[in-house]
Amino acid sequence: MGGVLARTVTHALVGIEPRRVEVEAHLQRGIPAFAIVGLADRACQEAKHRVRSGIASAELEFPGHRITVNLAPAGLRKEGSGFDLPIALAVLAASHQLPPDALDGHAAIGELALDGRLRPVAGALVAAEGARRAGLTRLVCPAECAPQVALAGVEPVPASHLAEAVAYLRGDRDPPGAPPADADEAGYDGIPDLADVRGQERARRALEIAAVGGHNVLLVGPPGIGKTMLARRLPGILPRLDDDAALEVTRIHSVAGVLSPGAGLVRVPPFRAPHHTASAAAIVGGGSGPRPGEASLAHRGVLYLDELPEFQRAVLEALREPLEDGVVSVARVGGRAAFPACFQLVGTMNLCPCGARGDPGAACVCTPQRVERYRERLSRALLDRFDLVLAVPRPRGEELAAADAERSADVRVRVLLAREHLAVHDLRVGGAAAELLTRAVERRALSARARARTARVARTIAALAGATEIEPGHLAEALSYRPPAELTG
Amino acid sequence: MSELAVAAFAAETGAHLLEPPREPRFAAFCRRFDEGAYLAGLGAAGLSWVGRSDQRFPARLRAIHDPPIGVFVRGEAELELLERPSVAVVGARACSPYGSEVATRLGRELARAGVLVVSGLARGVDACAHRGALESGHTVAVLGCGIDRDYPRAHAQLAACVAETGLILSEYAPGVEPAPWRFPARNRIVAGLACATVVVEARERSGALITADLALEEGREVLAVPGEITSHLSHGTNALLRLGATPVTSVADVLEALGIDPAPDPDAPTPPVEPRLARVHAAVVDAPAGVDELVRLTGIGAGEVAAALAELELRGLVVEAAGLFRGVIA
Repeated sequence: MGGVLARTVTHALVGIEPRRVEVEAHLQRGIPAFAIVGLADRACQEAKHRVRSGIASAELEFPGHRITVNLAPAGLRKEGSGFDLPIALAVLAASHQLPPDALDGHAAIGELALDGRLRPVAGALVAAEGARRAGLTRLVCPAECAPQVALAGVEPVPASHLAEAVAYLRGDRDPPGAPPADADEAGYDGIPDLADVRGQERARRALEIAAVGGHNVLLVGPPGIGKTMLARRLPGILPRLDDDAALEVTRIHSVAGVLSPGAGLVRVPPFRAPHHTASAAAIVGGGSGPRPGEASLAHRGVLYLDELPEFQRAVLEALREPLEDGVVSVARVGGRAAFPACFQLVGTMNLCPCGARGDPGAACVCTPQRVERYRERLSRALLDRFDLVLAVPRPRGEELAAADAERSADVRVRVLLAREHLAVHDLRVGGAAAELLTRAVERRALSARARARTARVARTIAALAGATEIEPGHLAEALSYRPPAELTG
Repeated sequence: MSELAVAAFAAETGAHLLEPPREPRFAAFCRRFDEGAYLAGLGAAGLSWVGRSDQRFPARLRAIHDPPIGVFVRGEAELELLERPSVAVVGARACSPYGSEVATRLGRELARAGVLVVSGLARGVDACAHRGALESGHTVAVLGCGIDRDYPRAHAQLAACVAETGLILSEYAPGVEPAPWRFPARNRIVAGLACATVVVEARERSGALITADLALEEGREVLAVPGEITSHLSHGTNALLRLGATPVTSVADVLEALGIDPAPDPDAPTPPVEPRLARVHAAVVDAPAGVDELVRLTGIGAGEVAAALAELELRGLVVEAAGLFRGVIA
């Protein structure tokens, strides 16, 4: 029996779940070689070169042995560059450059630069949660990932260079202090404010209702009237995420690698606006080892689809599952995963492909057949998911000169109050309102689904008004947010 | 040589035939044509045939100078329905919200007065006229394709509704594809069935104007709905008015042309009495406006304006199109 064995623990991502991976390094005498086994993907195989250079740059010795690194369990697919640091540490431990028990109770994650610096990787939060579950108390990680690691209840060992990590493990450096403060707590600063929107009273009102009830919104109207501008302001009036929601969102964002370095919990509802050329996998998630898509990145926030009918039909149909269940399940050869995707959908569309319909200042050149085809791209089933449908006509000049409008922060307070009101009161349709609803059902031939939708929106409106039951006025307003006849044919 | 054989031969050869053709091919066709089997096939599909010489063939249609050799019929109503006073409501396929509102209203109120509404099942004005008429009475649709086809396909549902209480006619046998030249021919039947033709919206040189010309040639009354002089959709109708067509300012004008006394409409909307509704209604009667504009004009909040508009709409006092609301006068 020849050679020396050393082990580090890290975590691979399967969807948004951590899976414990043991990194074993085995040194044997023989012709110097470096092999990584255990279903490692390309980025992971290339770790060899980064580890070799990183160790040399840290003024440590890269052993001149025959080195075999095994990533166990060997049947689990390993992706990405997060294994660099654990591999490097295992190699160093096997070559006795680290004390034998230095790695006990520690997990590690991080990418190595050729000069030995540590680079942040996606999924640090999830890896840290895995470490906690595995009973490990500390996680050696790139400094940028430390706040995320701290969120999971594991003590981060932030290191900006491999040499720092080694110094810590050798006991030459004190254990790190408290993690940096939650940098992202303020959060709402980056979101455009409703105060910048002139006029648009109806759309503002609809956004406020949507924010309270979590309703999906479809904005319909000619191009250039500010549909996108309005939609971007919705997250700004949504209340701050509570601890559980924030952790869920942060986890997904961590896995997708969209968290800004050093960021803490995501407290502000996210806003995602994929382009209409996006594929179904990009929207609902996918890839050989499944990754969350835009729908999951918008979890607890807003998914904004501009020019809804321009999206591929497959994409729109794929959205029906998350809209219904709040979850996307993706099955791939590389594994299956369920991603939370409980988002508020905001869509926009024109009334016809050329966009001139509904615009008094322009003449539509679309043939009826073209208009029909355009609308048919949006299935009835999807249209039914929009509680609030809003036809926005082009504003006139004088409206744009209207006085300064309310700020998002003030609206947000009202939204929060109304949500609390909804939570406390069981709002039912009052007698007079019920009579109005019956009349509307008869006159407009409302379907059962449309009727339920109207009642749902009316409940939200009543909550905003602080009422104890749904009054006729609330119901009448709810009726006004139905799809225009132009869309239903 | 039956009339039905001519219609069946026309379908087979893709020709448009008003008389038995003098050609050997037709003679050969007649020899192998089994009229009994053909009629049985029609009957099985819920269709029937009325030849021009048949007593039941609509009298007004027989009176035009080029009546079809017969018509195929689909629908539950009796053929006597076609002898009622009738009005053709025709117009642009790509009509404006105003056009669709007027067509719907004309259809509804003419049908309520017992008038048969005839149109072509096309998109836009035609469909609105049919839908309006279905709310309160009978309507007849004339197709420009085979009787078994629903064209446009999007109107299959509408066609089924028309057939439930009214009739669908075509001079073309089952299986005939729609073709551009068949629609003007269809229009002569629309005009021929009606005592008067109302053009709701029409561009210059549109199909609706062809129908109006055909009606004039047969000495039938032609009426036109006035429109904005700045809109292409009004060029045709306003040109008709200039040539002496009767302007339609209300349904009573159409009924008067038919010699029918208009009865008061029991469902006619009454002006709102509630102050808030009255204020919003007054603001949209003169010019269509969006909610934002109404908020500015009335000083009422967006939510309450929306509620008021929804209530007014339920009472038939306001119509919406693409986010713009227009007041309707009672």
